[in-house]
Amino acid sequence: MRKALYKRGARLCLILLVIAVVLWPVVASLDDPRGAFFTFVLGPFNDMRHFGNVLEATIPLLFTGLAVVIMFKAGAFNLGAEGAFFLGGVVATAVLLKLPLAGPLLPVVAIVAGGVIGASVCVVPAWLKASVGASELVCSLMLNYAALFIGLYIVNYHLRDPNAGAMLSYRIPLDGKLPRILAGTRVHLGLVIGLLGCALGAVYLYKTRWGYESRLVGSNPLFARHVGVRTVLVGLIAPCVGGFIAAAGGAVEIEGMYSRFSWTDLPGLGWNGLVVAILANNNPAFVPVAAVFLAYLEVGGDLLAQNFAVPAEVVGVIKALIILFSTMSIAVGNPRIKQLLVRVMPGARKLNTEVEP
Amino acid sequence: MSFASHIPGIVGVVNAMLRVATPILLAGLGALLSERAGVINLGLEGMMLSSALAGVVVSAYTGSALLGLLGAMTVGALLGAVLHGAVHILNTDLILSGVALNLAASAGTVMCLYWLTGEKGISSSLSSKVLPTIAIPLVRDIPLIGPVLSGRNVMTYVAFFAVPAVSMMMANTTFGLRLRAAGQDPASTAIAGVRVARIRLAALVLSGMFAGMAGAYLSMGYVSWFGANMSGGRGFIAIAAEVMGGGTAYGTGVAALVLGGAEALAVTVQSYGAPSELIQAVPYIVPVVALALYARQRQRRTAAQ
Repeated sequence: MRKALYKRGARLCLILLVIAVVLWPVVASLDDPRGAFFTFVLGPFNDMRHFGNVLEATIPLLFTGLAVVIMFKAGAFNLGAEGAFFLGGVVATAVLLKLPLAGPLLPVVAIVAGGVIGASVCVVPAWLKASVGASELVCSLMLNYAALFIGLYIVNYHLRDPNAGAMLSYRIPLDGKLPRILAGTRVHLGLVIGLLGCALGAVYLYKTRWGYESRLVGSNPLFARHVGVRTVLVGLIAPCVGGFIAAAGGAVEIEGMYSRFSWTDLPGLGWNGLVVAILANNNPAFVPVAAVFLAYLEVGGDLLAQNFAVPAEVVGVIKALIILFSTMSIAVGNPRIKQLLVRVMPGARKLNTEVEP
Repeated sequence: MSFASHIPGIVGVVNAMLRVATPILLAGLGALLSERAGVINLGLEGMMLSSALAGVVVSAYTGSALLGLLGAMTVGALLGAVLHGAVHILNTDLILSGVALNLAASAGTVMCLYWLTGEKGISSSLSSKVLPTIAIPLVRDIPLIGPVLSGRNVMTYVAFFAVPAVSMMMANTTFGLRLRAAGQDPASTAIAGVRVARIRLAALVLSGMFAGMAGAYLSMGYVSWFGANMSGGRGFIAIAAEVMGGGTAYGTGVAALVLGGAEALAVTVQSYGAPSELIQAVPYIVPVVALALYARQRQRRTAAQ
């Protein structure tokens, strides 16, 4: 237990260090480094609107983060969450605009339809892997872009409002929008759905037979097969569930935040889901915390870019380094580094050669 | 219409195919070198993007396209070494490190461009150079194939000459043998006294250099500027091309041509009024179909044995 705490603490320090190292040269080069620093660190909390922005940005991350966790836990190296999220948003928009349905059922139908169809981006590679043994990783990467362009085709040729000027869809009907739940912000019901999803995800992974089997396949496929788990089936179910969650997240995002569909490129939220999953140590229960943290960084970066001569991309570099440094198992791999670490901080001796799950 | 009247059109499509296939082939050979050494280089996309920027910046500041190309290759090689360092020294996951490299490149290039020029997203204020096209005397006068073989960008020739070179290096040199051994059975290779980590470092550095050439071609040949995320998934397509090619240099060459041909044909169809978005999806769908067919064939072959 203490070792786990120690590890988690070390990791947190490392992430803070990464942020400091990336931010330092950026902020120091400005005229008002103090102001810039406080804008980044405290800006997201200094008024209700900005804090609302953090929660708004958290919502899609809850979905994509959970989706990636569920797929990675089952050992499926499937990077289709990005395309699934996008396609889910497109399909939900199509349902909202074309389905002659009114009342509270409309957004629900749109989320389910978006989730089911958008999930194909994750399911097709998994199915190709299960049936013929094609590379799930490469196929899912390709299909992300295929989903982007097919989605853009649907929007441009079937949903586009010719009077809107830019490539925007028709206005989404009011019935199809998710209600706001926090006065003074745009935080919508998606937050509750996402949190519920994470709770259900934790129950699924740790309290059900299916979840147990998928974790078994993820940690040791040979053993899982040996004890009679149908590994092929598990390898299919995880991308189905994960893809559905990511795509439903896209639908929720459209219903909660947009009055028209306006994405012209992959929004990058699937990749962010990967960062969330890694920050959450592949545990659904930690996904909300990780999602809020990443959203906080994003909003801080945006505020920095709005008020100072800094591109918002600075957060992108931080995200990349977070992936890198949180997946490394400190010192475990290289004995020389371990020696060095032990010399610097004796506590590192306790880090044994366990491989992270 | 007679066949002769179609010739300019056909030449145009073939030229477009070569244009599109060049970066895919260069990066695909990079994917091949790392993949055969047992390390999937998912960071190709980011390496291409970073070196595309490096090429534009170096050539703008030095006034030399050649130095720009060398700068791009250096950046690619450095990123290859960084990826190796992350995986072998920090013990990170190879695939996630590749994803991280792509994220870092996507954001980092925009930041670097902003610091250097104050512009966000596109390098229009940098007067960068382009890599020359080469007209081959005599060959260019041959009817039909002359206009195809001659007058291409220098990187297109480099890419197609690199195919036999890489193939020969893999088959006939000690380094190539060790590289393949490190990919096939790292444990036995290590026992045989080969330093697997070093071989893999060399493979990733070479892979990065090929990605660097592909990136330089993108920003200094395909177009003459750098734009945010201009690699647009070509690094991933290159990985698909390598897998489609069955892990051989010649196979990768053919796959790159097929993918380039699909895109060139698609662009031609577009001029007849087909929806451009669907056309743009084609180069991403073709690899998936090809991978599935290829995998099925391989599965049948193993089942038959």
